[in-house]
Amino acid sequence: MTPRYHPSEERLLEHATGTLGSGPRLVIAAHLRACAACSAEVRLIEAVGGVLLENLPLTTLRADALAQALARLERPQIDTPAGMIVQQPEWISVAPVVLDAARRRRRWAAPGVWVAPVTGVAGGARTYLLRVGPGMSIPRHTHRGSELICVLKGGYADGGAVHGPGDFAESDDSVEHTPVITTDGECVCLVFADGRLVPRDWVGRLFQPIVRI
Amino acid sequence: MSTALGVTADPKLSELIVAIGERKDREAFATLFNHFAPRVKSYLMRLGAGPEAAEELAQETLFTVWRRAEAYDPGRSAASTWIFTIARNLRIDLARRNRRPVLTKDPFEPSDGPLSPESALGALQNTAKITAAVALLSPEQSQVIRLAFLSDKPHTEIAKVLGVPLGTVKSRIRLAMARLRGLLEEGP
Repeated sequence: MTPRYHPSEERLLEHATGTLGSGPRLVIAAHLRACAACSAEVRLIEAVGGVLLENLPLTTLRADALAQALARLERPQIDTPAGMIVQQPEWISVAPVVLDAARRRRRWAAPGVWVAPVTGVAGGARTYLLRVGPGMSIPRHTHRGSELICVLKGGYADGGAVHGPGDFAESDDSVEHTPVITTDGECVCLVFADGRLVPRDWVGRLFQPIVRI
Repeated sequence: MSTALGVTADPKLSELIVAIGERKDREAFATLFNHFAPRVKSYLMRLGAGPEAAEELAQETLFTVWRRAEAYDPGRSAASTWIFTIARNLRIDLARRNRRPVLTKDPFEPSDGPLSPESALGALQNTAKITAAVALLSPEQSQVIRLAFLSDKPHTEIAKVLGVPLGTVKSRIRLAMARLRGLLEEGP
């Protein structure tokens, strides 16, 4: 299925230039693996990066730089074995670090809801996997700072829009919503959030301390 | 300043990588190193690395080229594009190890989404064409794109540097990207 909701061009540019932090980078990478159009866009931007690199003035290297480089080729190389992590067959393809989080750090937070931190908390920002059962709704809330989401499995309805696997969404404190998981199965999302959710009703205020997102 | 050893825009650069991938060709590696290492060093210094750190990372970049050359697909990206992504990723990894609290490290990962028909056309591997397209951007668009690549600043900071609202930076980026796409789709 081709994703229908995409990151903005500025986000893709930040991704391609390497300006994004690790959390946003992971979320956008998940979308890119599922989205041929955005991948093509990123490749175009990377090609521009290549052209800029090609046209930069040269900086002199140490006199023995090439000799060092060649000597290094002769040293025995230790190949770090790629981690054997089995891809969750029902998810869109994600980086091993994300699967690893799902395997090792998932914590049931409420009936039907699990959370798995993917990266550490850096300055209040967090990146986590969120699994919510079919038909459940996330209590009405807004956001402190920005939030980036990519659906890995299943889907949710937000207002009139249904987001499915690979779809990307970005919200900030101007967005107040009550996403509802579609009834056909569980929904797993990769989420980066700058700050905590701000619950907008009593259900949310009960929900948040338990789920801690 | 310059140690330009030969080639400036050699279309054979990608063949050098292929030669390394196919037969661990050390001479090809040396040529590639002389071409790209000084540029990668410049790139990293633009992004705020000191000369020592920049040189070390340039070494690492070219060494990664050596190790991963077999995975390089000249039909998919130009040599400069591929090496740019390696330098960028190594820099991200390094910054993360030095500064950010993380539980696990991302794997080395060049953009590896599905290959769409447009990019398979080969327009993207045509460095000359992209160079020409970049040159045709308006000064304002080109400035925003350069700052995005060659300064370690998020777009909010770029807006401050240029003294324009963030919205202006965003619209310049969108216009620049649309322009590039348009120029590249125009044909040879």
